[in-house]
Amino acid sequence: MRNTRIRRIVLDTGIAAAVVIAMGVARGVYSNELMLFNFIIFLALAQGLNIIYGFTGYLPFGYVGFYGAGAYGFALVVMHLHAPALIGMAAAGVAALVLAVILLPLLRLSGAYFAIASMAAAQAVYEIVANPDLEDITKGPYGVSLADVFAPAFSYYTALAILAATLLLVVWLRNSRFGMSLQAIRDDSISAAMAGVSVVRGRTIAWLLSALIAGLVGGVFAWHISVFYPDTAFDLSVSIFATVFLLFGGATTLCGPLLGVFILYGIYNVIGIAVPQYFQFTYGALIVLLVLFLPNGLVSLLTSRGIRVP
Amino acid sequence: MRSKALLLGLLCAVAAQTARAQPPAPAEIKIGALYASSGPYASISMPVSAGFRLWVDQTNANGGAEVKAFGKKIPLKLIAYDDQSSTATAATLYNQLITRDHVDLLIADSGSVLTSVGVPIAKEHKQFLFDVSGTGAAFFTDDNPYVALMADPVSTIWPHYISDFLADDGAKAGIKTVAILFSTNDFTGTQAAALKGFFEKDGKVKVVYYQGVPTTTSNYTVLINNIAAVNPDAVLELGYVGNDIAFLRNLQDSGNQFRFVFSIYAGVEKEEIEKNVGASALTHIYTYVPPSNYEYVPEVGMTQKEFHAAWDKKYPPGSNVTFGANAVYGYMTGLVVERALATAKSLDQMDIHDAVFALSGKLKTLDGTFILRKDGAQIGEVTPLGQLQPEGKDALTLVAVYPPDMANGKAVIGK
Amino acid sequence: MLIGAIIAGIVFGLYYTLVGLGLNLVFGVMRIVNLAHGDFLMLGGIAAWWLFTTLGLHPLASAGLVIVVFVLVGLPLYYLVVPRLLRSRDSEMLSLILFFGLSQMIEAVTTIGLGATERSLPPRLLGVGPIILFGTRLPKAWIFSAVASAIAVLLVYLYLYRTRLGTLTRAVMVSRDEALATGIDVNFVSAVAFGISIALAGVAGVFAPFILGSITPNMGVAINITAFAVIVVGTLGNPLGTLLGGIIYGVSLMLMQTYLSSWANLLPNLLLIAVLLVRPEGILGRRVRRA
Repeated sequence: MRNTRIRRIVLDTGIAAAVVIAMGVARGVYSNELMLFNFIIFLALAQGLNIIYGFTGYLPFGYVGFYGAGAYGFALVVMHLHAPALIGMAAAGVAALVLAVILLPLLRLSGAYFAIASMAAAQAVYEIVANPDLEDITKGPYGVSLADVFAPAFSYYTALAILAATLLLVVWLRNSRFGMSLQAIRDDSISAAMAGVSVVRGRTIAWLLSALIAGLVGGVFAWHISVFYPDTAFDLSVSIFATVFLLFGGATTLCGPLLGVFILYGIYNVIGIAVPQYFQFTYGALIVLLVLFLPNGLVSLLTSRGIRVP
Repeated sequence: MRSKALLLGLLCAVAAQTARAQPPAPAEIKIGALYASSGPYASISMPVSAGFRLWVDQTNANGGAEVKAFGKKIPLKLIAYDDQSSTATAATLYNQLITRDHVDLLIADSGSVLTSVGVPIAKEHKQFLFDVSGTGAAFFTDDNPYVALMADPVSTIWPHYISDFLADDGAKAGIKTVAILFSTNDFTGTQAAALKGFFEKDGKVKVVYYQGVPTTTSNYTVLINNIAAVNPDAVLELGYVGNDIAFLRNLQDSGNQFRFVFSIYAGVEKEEIEKNVGASALTHIYTYVPPSNYEYVPEVGMTQKEFHAAWDKKYPPGSNVTFGANAVYGYMTGLVVERALATAKSLDQMDIHDAVFALSGKLKTLDGTFILRKDGAQIGEVTPLGQLQPEGKDALTLVAVYPPDMANGKAVIGK
Repeated sequence: MLIGAIIAGIVFGLYYTLVGLGLNLVFGVMRIVNLAHGDFLMLGGIAAWWLFTTLGLHPLASAGLVIVVFVLVGLPLYYLVVPRLLRSRDSEMLSLILFFGLSQMIEAVTTIGLGATERSLPPRLLGVGPIILFGTRLPKAWIFSAVASAIAVLLVYLYLYRTRLGTLTRAVMVSRDEALATGIDVNFVSAVAFGISIALAGVAGVFAPFILGSITPNMGVAINITAFAVIVVGTLGNPLGTLLGGIIYGVSLMLMQTYLSSWANLLPNLLLIAVLLVRPEGILGRRVRRA
């Protein structure tokens, strides 16, 4: 029993390490660094979303709100305080956490209500950041330029570090008592509460962790891309992509979201470069077919046969 | 000792030889470009892309572009990707064009938002970015030689003639107050702020209403009623195409009359706006006179009339792109590329930069005179102020009314 | 200005009732969110534009045609997609994703076929010039769309409360499983509701050129976000509550435009969150919180 658990942890950690190392090595081999960077961004975001959706069943459609908050947290500190990039990264995390705390009451909602309310919250944050009345603080709709701290290599490896931490967090959740209790809450919150699991505490921690990851990813995105508009940082398609990747691969697992990103975002880039004219249609059709024929994700092909997927 | 010196001399000679030797001329010049076939920027991006393609096809039909670096004509190969109005996708694709396709020349997508992500990428890879119409102030800095704005002026100087006209002819006709309603985005927000500054500096016309609305605003009825309540002589509405259509329709519906009404796209995309709003709602509206409606005398490339004819031939009515300023912007960018290739010492990106900047003040096209500030911002090509005046029944003509040296008609100011 | 904004808000809000009505009906009956609702609205607008430019058909006539065609499109679409979707573990969530995919497909096909430019219908078709209502100038088209919306609400009410199929629909809304157990053809009932929903979106689309100025292939997403706000404020799952939601949205939007215009878009989002948190069952009631 104990041995299987250790073996699982070793296997999970091995997979996480393999992904991180592969993405690190890829930078030296493949020259389109931004494509690799976007892969890292979505790998981390899909896993961050996995923490809240896979382990608690809450699907925040406005997940991009934390990402945008992180990007602007980074930008504000760097622009106004001329702080070094790593301080900016800390600010990105703090910004997302503050937003997550403000939005804690949303966790009282269920299902689609929660999803929609979180989307409205992300939109609201965007409207505030992009408002010209706040130009002196956020630069409003005119966008920010962070050329002073531009450092493609450093920011790339920082993103990789965030990804590594995120993957380890998921490994821990999958193999710890805390993670198990979260899943118990997701499946039946009333029984879990009766069994002595603190429902509110568990959900709150998962929510904050998930927001923190998105915030850090947003911060490192701001750092790496260095010139952007509010529309870029709060682009709803970031949420949608992360969600689609997660669902396609299969939530609650470590491999599911990884596969989701590698396969779907891979296809996205291949189609985008090879046959751009039918890009949007092909992608839309792919999503429809996936939901209809693989609603529980790729990993369900194995799990439904009783095979454990890391 | 002597043999060493000999060797050194030999090495030097070899080095000099290699430095002087021309690399073999490539079979084609690779031009990378992005466009957005869908999403919010599609309506400005597609005509630009179509205009640029027209130039590429025309050039190739003549055997290619004259490339000074190789002393001969070389065909162009356009590698164009669809970013679907997504900046994340655009970033990847800009990088793809530079690092995988190794394009010789890099053309940005239209508008500031989709251009923005390309600016740092181009700078990082030391690739010169032909910025078609991204006017964002943050793009142009003295420490970045790898960007220049091709086809329209930066937003801070663009609206100059509006305030000049109102302070001059307007004030004479008794216009004392102005209302400014703008969409809160980079392009129109910057123009609104600049205008407000001009009016305050001139001190002739007073700004009595200054409000921003979200760019997604699609109904202006209450806003127009509110503007009417402060009773301004002039109303300036600065928005994107969709905003202008909604504003102009709502203005007509509301029955409110103002002595001077300005909208950007009424002229800039005249065909499109006229189709959507109808001639009656556009009569006597002031607007910019874009190069698609003004006869500059070009020294390079086609005249506006010739270009319009070529456009109609390639994209006959009923095809999905409309002729307008953006069409000219695409073609204009092609002309800059053409002149740069014909004068650059080599295809090295700094040589391209030098060639493009050398055109400043000298290149006269159907888009006016191309003038670059040191940091790459476009300060030429400022469009005159115009007015849509009736011409026969149900038809409108766009008359340039200011400045006097560019005017081809007289302004009609409402009573 | 205050009175003017309120009157304009009520009339304008009625249009948004029409926009949200179908979305809410589908959510009420199937517990799924049709993220492509705004795209069906766009298609309705395109249909009206096409019928006018090729056949010279008046938009009010187009509206009738659109209803018939869109119901006929909605029925097979339901059978193709929804029953399969409802069998999955978390259909409410997955519906967001699935219909997002559909929305992308619709936008892509429209863009490929027609290009991305703005399209509209001449204002004169619904009358140029203002109608003065309690001293407030309103476009004639607003009155037309408000009346159309009122008729639509009335018809949906009559359908739900005065027809046999409507009674069955309400039974499915209360509990899909129990309705199934009592032998109701749940799929047929739902398919009709789906068809009606799409038709309502189509009709709203026919008026869109007059209310929103123009239509573009990518307008769907923005419409959806607003429609969500409207139906959540007015009670999710209760189609008639949409009326209240639309009016509240319209009035508050116009007040924002009057007093704090650049913040106007913040409003629907804050309204939505506030309503969900303070009165999550919606203004007209129904429990949605968990734990």
